[in-house]
Amino acid sequence: MTSPLRIGILGLVMIGFFSILGIRLWTMQVTEAQAYETRAEDNQVRVVLTPAPRGDIWDSKGVKLAGTRSALAAIIDLALIEADERGPLSQNLAAFLDEPASEIEELLSATNLGSQITVATDITDAQATFLLEHREMFPGVNVIPQPVRTYPAGEVGAHVIGYIGKPNEQDLEERDDINGEDFLGKAGVERAYDELLQGVPGVVEYKVDARRKVLSLENEVSPSAGGSLILTIDSEVQAQLQTSLQNGLMQARRLEMEERRLAIEEQSRDQRVAQALRDARAEALEQALEEKEALDAAVEAGEPTTTTTPDDGERRIGPVEVDEADVLSSLYSGLPIDADGICVPVQRVTIPHGGSATVTGIEPRLAKFESVATVDGELVAHVVVEGKSYKVGDHDPFAGTLRVLEISEDRLILNHSDPWCPIRAVGVVLDPNDGAVIAMSSYPTFDPTAFVDGLSVDQWNSLGTVSAFTNFAVQGQYAPASTFKTVPYVLALEENYYPINRGVGDKEIGEEQTGGSTQDDAPVVSTTTLLDGPQTPVNPEDQDEDALLPLRSDTDEYSCTGEFRFRLNDGSFQTKRDWIWPGAHGPLDLHGALQASCDLYFWDVALRLWNERGDDSGIDKENLLQEYARGFGFGSTTGIDLPFEREGLIPDRAWFISEQRDGSPRVRQDGSWVGGDLMDMAVGQGAVLATPLQMANGLAAMVNGGTVWQPYVVEEVVDQDGNVITENQPTILNQMDLDPRTTTLLLADLQQVVNNQERGTARSAFRDFGEGVELIGGKTGTGEIIKAPRSERFRQVDSAFFIGVAPVTDPEYVISVVIERGGSGGRIAAPVARQVFQFLMNGPEGVTPIAPGLDAD
Amino acid sequence: MDPHGLARPDLVLIITYVAISLLGLLMIYSATAPGLEARGLDPTRELKAQAFFVLVGFIVFAIVSTVDLTEVRRFVGPIYIGSTLLLVVVLTSLGDSEGVAQRWIDLGPIQFQPSEISKIAVILMLASLLARSGIPLSWRTVARGILVVAIPSALIFLQPDLGTMLVFAFVLLAVLFVGGMTMRQLGFLTVATIVGTVGVFQLKLIKSYQIDRLTAFIDPGSHELTLSYNQVQSEIAIGSGGLVGKGLFEGSQTNLQFVPVQSSDFIFTAVGEQFGFIGSAIVIGLFSILLFRLLSIAVAAKDRFSFLVVAGVASMFAFHIFINIGMTIRIMPVTGLPLPFMSAGGTVFVAMSAALGLAHSVWIRRRSPVADQ
Repeated sequence: MTSPLRIGILGLVMIGFFSILGIRLWTMQVTEAQAYETRAEDNQVRVVLTPAPRGDIWDSKGVKLAGTRSALAAIIDLALIEADERGPLSQNLAAFLDEPASEIEELLSATNLGSQITVATDITDAQATFLLEHREMFPGVNVIPQPVRTYPAGEVGAHVIGYIGKPNEQDLEERDDINGEDFLGKAGVERAYDELLQGVPGVVEYKVDARRKVLSLENEVSPSAGGSLILTIDSEVQAQLQTSLQNGLMQARRLEMEERRLAIEEQSRDQRVAQALRDARAEALEQALEEKEALDAAVEAGEPTTTTTPDDGERRIGPVEVDEADVLSSLYSGLPIDADGICVPVQRVTIPHGGSATVTGIEPRLAKFESVATVDGELVAHVVVEGKSYKVGDHDPFAGTLRVLEISEDRLILNHSDPWCPIRAVGVVLDPNDGAVIAMSSYPTFDPTAFVDGLSVDQWNSLGTVSAFTNFAVQGQYAPASTFKTVPYVLALEENYYPINRGVGDKEIGEEQTGGSTQDDAPVVSTTTLLDGPQTPVNPEDQDEDALLPLRSDTDEYSCTGEFRFRLNDGSFQTKRDWIWPGAHGPLDLHGALQASCDLYFWDVALRLWNERGDDSGIDKENLLQEYARGFGFGSTTGIDLPFEREGLIPDRAWFISEQRDGSPRVRQDGSWVGGDLMDMAVGQGAVLATPLQMANGLAAMVNGGTVWQPYVVEEVVDQDGNVITENQPTILNQMDLDPRTTTLLLADLQQVVNNQERGTARSAFRDFGEGVELIGGKTGTGEIIKAPRSERFRQVDSAFFIGVAPVTDPEYVISVVIERGGSGGRIAAPVARQVFQFLMNGPEGVTPIAPGLDAD
Repeated sequence: MDPHGLARPDLVLIITYVAISLLGLLMIYSATAPGLEARGLDPTRELKAQAFFVLVGFIVFAIVSTVDLTEVRRFVGPIYIGSTLLLVVVLTSLGDSEGVAQRWIDLGPIQFQPSEISKIAVILMLASLLARSGIPLSWRTVARGILVVAIPSALIFLQPDLGTMLVFAFVLLAVLFVGGMTMRQLGFLTVATIVGTVGVFQLKLIKSYQIDRLTAFIDPGSHELTLSYNQVQSEIAIGSGGLVGKGLFEGSQTNLQFVPVQSSDFIFTAVGEQFGFIGSAIVIGLFSILLFRLLSIAVAAKDRFSFLVVAGVASMFAFHIFINIGMTIRIMPVTGLPLPFMSAGGTVFVAMSAALGLAHSVWIRRRSPVADQ
């Protein structure tokens, strides 16, 4: 075969190639041209999505809490602009909107937002017209109607409603139905019901020409609004709760300030420093002695030691120094105050480089930002506070109350904080008959409107630092303190399980037990079997205690002294003190113990459970208290239709072991779960944690006969025409088989807490209640929280609790109130609840001003 | 320099070449001007850039036309090795990445694609190899020919640039065929190519995006907005052009830039939409004339080496044209092969001009007395 022939064949192959192209082009451009033309025309239509208005949110009485108003927004269709067009466009937009160009550029380069980007919301008609008339300056920019969220009730119900915001990366990943330009619920029901609230976006189709000018509107489908929520919240009760919480917190702060001023008057500045020196010295000495003891013990045990001969502790501690600023702040004079002289939990101090600023306080201090240097790559600021010099880096604490937040060449930002100032008030009102939430709030709160336009730095500084956006009613976890005594109370009645009255015959603690009726009722000989089984001594060492038998009934009296000594496993004695110590409650039965909040009674219930653990009763007594607590909904989420709910904690041996294994700081690293832990739990202290919602919901179950309802805030969701889309049916989480007598007795005792003028811990708080106080029941609680490591030396910080129910004849409302760092429950939490009950029972006219009650647990 | 060389140019070839180039410039302008103008930029910016390369290309064509291929043959080895080394360089840090593929070398103000140069080097090397062997080709020669193509192919595979690999395969087959391969060898190679292609797919040696890109054209509806977006838009543009087209600057598809990279890979779209079937036919006709001239030159070549080079160049052009236009009308996969002398791109235009220049120099010396044995 010759070369020309093969070239010819190659040529034929090429002709074949080109023929294929020709035939295809002929069919496309001649035969089917019409069909392609139609498709080309469709191509010139751009589609813009118009956001749907979110559904409204209404309270149970028809008051609108969230709605939408119509506004205009400028959007950019990214499909209509090229990458290198973005520079000039963002310049123009920046000038037009008076915003930094870099921000707009960033917005335009965000690739995850889809093709439509909102550059400005809520623009005026004039601005909209200008944008549309100057397309050459603003290519791709369009104006569309945009619904803007409104919250007519402002702060009322903010934590239940929540707030909205732009989706983050995670939201976009999780949700297919939203794009980067949509708003979605970030908290509260706005988040929990977001998909129902969203609605369906509308569509605008318009035709553009070859010069990217809009020729005509092709098609327009209006967006359809999302479903509206009807809440169980009563906005009037909600408003009252919020006002009361705010008043209560402010009252707590004023009380705090009075105490501080008294303390300052009592001691001069020099006296305070001298006292602090003495304290520090005593502390150091104590520590030295402890060390010496440990050393002696080690030597005695024959363990090899590396330490030299132990000498006198006094000599070993050497000179002790105290930081004067630390002392002053600890004694309150240097802690932050507001313009009215009232304490604030945290304040921000900004000092310009070379300048100075006043650090507020009863005795204000002057802080100068002298200079800044770089040490090992970190910025270190030289600050002089009241003549004393400090070199501080990022996050360093200094001068008692201050901590560095940010150092730069220009300025120094400090946190000026107060670990004692009452920081937060939380409250929940529930319907115990179905779990509907009537009101729920935590203060400080916020206006959700702030999130619609984006939160300003100032707003974030003032509210974010105190977690104002967090719903502490479901997210706050607190040791519920004495309000938790209702659990061992119910246990005692249900199981017919009462403590051993160790006041009898125990000379150590028996002294106050004189003149009481205890002697008459005390069991002398008893063959009562408990819990269907014979009681056998568990610990043969406890000879003297074994001689005593438990009380037989809830009306048997117990000697409630101020101090409690009990034997540990190793035979040694430990002392626990009641809140009333150095006083004493005197003889009380179960009912009196709850009314007066006697710690000893419930400690002894727990101790007996502990001592009888593993007996042959067939009952797991070590975990019986936990079983009851969990039965009432403690230790797990209630499943309320609000996001981020916390579980709380009901501790037990298994939990203790697992925490210990993980090296958690919440438990001791040496030793095991002991009776003392169970005793702590019985009075709501130790590791036990509960949310304010759990506190209210647990009480609701106890007073309604044992039904644990799942709390809920949304009654139903309706569409635009009022048709019900979904309805929340009350759900039972658990049914406790309570003896009706238990509920009746509990309600009577709770009523006595409020009404018993001799021992009711909330009696003084409800003194001014007015009509119907006899229908109110409640339980106070005071939780010890220790925030600052050295606070013990000066003062313990307490949180105040109150749980209540009304009317006790046929409960319609239960309430829980927490004032974080507020003091005692009787003094500050009960008065807040009193106002809310006054409102609920007697209407707005019945509400009297908050006055602190007597200090009572 | 041959004193008679310039006196005997192939005017048809030159006119066709210039006509295609100028039509290419017009199409590039029509495709880019509205977009540039809408942005307030110089609407002739892309046109000017390409015009510069066209000018350079013309000069290169003229210079290469005067070069005696017999002289070039002595440097085939170094040219082949050099171009292969450039392919290695592009894979190193010197190479520039565009999208997911690394095809460019950045030399300050100039960027170029070594694979374009490699195409010419491979043709020269193949021709040189076959010119030395007898007819019919021995299996040994065929094997060496495969090796010549395999080395740069492997490097290009790493870039990766599947289009250029396909060009190599086709050029290899064509040159071996006209060089005197037996029918048995042809059959073997054809089967081997098919088996190899299937193997590459099966063994997943090529990355999934390449498979996606190659197969998207079969069912573009399923990825209308993703992979085959270009192809679907291009097909709509060409189809809607109809018999006579929408007219210059009246193409809604082209001018609204619904077709991305239309000034380079999808330049034929601008022709099809604005000038319709008639315009498309004219472009294909011009290319047909060009290829007819090249095949005629091959037949008239003074020696076997020149003959094989021209045949190789013609095959390369033919394959580029077929794959590229086929891609715009969705009968071929998207491979990124440019349309010779029309697609925007400096290296491509200059390299293609040089290749055409080589063929032209063969024409100029068709009756030269010196024989190459």
